[in-house]
Amino acid sequence: MAHDHADHHDALIVEDDEGNLEGQIVIDALRDVLIEKGLLTAQEVTAEIAKLEAPGIHQGAKIVAKAWTDPDYKRRLLEDGKSCIQEIGIAVGEARIIVVENTEAVHNLITCTLCSCYPRSILGQPPSWYISKAYRARTVREPRAVLKEFGTELGENVDVIVHDSNADMRYLVLPQAPADVTDLSTEDLEALVTRDHLVGVTR
Amino acid sequence: MTFADKRFAVGDHVHVLDLGKPGHVRIPMYIRHHTGRVVQYCGKYLNPEDLSVGRTEGPAVDLYRVVFAQSDLWSDDPVAPNDMLVIEIYDHWLERA
Amino acid sequence: MTKGYHDIGGESAGTIPKEELPWLHWEKQVEAIRNLLGDGTRRIVSLDEMRRGFESFGEEKYKKYSFYRRRLEAMIDILVEKGVITRAELDRAINWRRPEWERAAAEGALDTSNGKGPR
Repeated sequence: MAHDHADHHDALIVEDDEGNLEGQIVIDALRDVLIEKGLLTAQEVTAEIAKLEAPGIHQGAKIVAKAWTDPDYKRRLLEDGKSCIQEIGIAVGEARIIVVENTEAVHNLITCTLCSCYPRSILGQPPSWYISKAYRARTVREPRAVLKEFGTELGENVDVIVHDSNADMRYLVLPQAPADVTDLSTEDLEALVTRDHLVGVTR
Repeated sequence: MTFADKRFAVGDHVHVLDLGKPGHVRIPMYIRHHTGRVVQYCGKYLNPEDLSVGRTEGPAVDLYRVVFAQSDLWSDDPVAPNDMLVIEIYDHWLERA
Repeated sequence: MTKGYHDIGGESAGTIPKEELPWLHWEKQVEAIRNLLGDGTRRIVSLDEMRRGFESFGEEKYKKYSFYRRRLEAMIDILVEKGVITRAELDRAINWRRPEWERAAAEGALDTSNGKGPR
């Protein structure tokens, strides 16, 4: 049995202890059957989990810091995200990566209304709020209200562009560089970039 | 990528059809019947409607990123006048507006 | 054409639940196994087939199950539909696995965050 997360109605459905136990039993059993049939091995599952856990925000931060300090890289990144990301040693599993740039006048926000598409090969698994019904349902209709809940209040002088990752593209937001970008080391710049910047819930 | 053999070019106004297809489709209801403008050609991809029933032989279909005015999508809501939404639409869900 | 229960863009919903939940071991197994079944050498269950699975297994299940549980149940449905496994085979494996996990859970030895339990 699963239950609706407390106080959020059906905004985010999580399994309770019983549901997690059931999930664990069923996936182990499924793995057993698939191994028995010779369709996969336990080693392959372990290796695939390691592969799923390897990406993370540090990779997104590396891309952003590079774009902030190398104008030619940034120009190419906005044209062809995937090759430019691979070029700095990050493996990309998605068909294409579209990098969208925040400016003084534009703020980008990424969502997926139909399921929870996310640039997983670069950033890892999405946060739980990204897969919540509340985020999926509301971002496309009231992005400014959603942003406000994340503490991001935008004035009338900033236009919001919402990107629904409904098909084959996956998206990354390129946040605005800090004013003192030239004074900071690559390491310091990377430390400024959070997952919330890359999804666009933070400016 | 060239637009030589594509139905639409960047800047073209397009109308999203409501094909009424049952099964797995990737064009959400909120975008159907709305008119937007092509901002990018994404290439050809296998149609998820085929992939969802195990048909992997194609044909691949053109995919476009299309921008819509939020004020048009949610005309009953008090939305900011210049806010926009961009979504990917497969060729067969589009007609020239 | 009625709207699918998964097609929720624009619906009203509550406040965004911003807490960060851990990614549990069984959830990682679900993702890993689906990735393997869909890879270039196997091509047994594609992402779009799995999506069709949870978009058509009924609204009650969709609203009851968490994100990863939906994917697990949908993957099973597709494997059964394609004749890769049978329900009976899976049920036998579940019955074989269940006692050890339930014992571990009862003894407080089950940690779903890392899948620590009977091995």
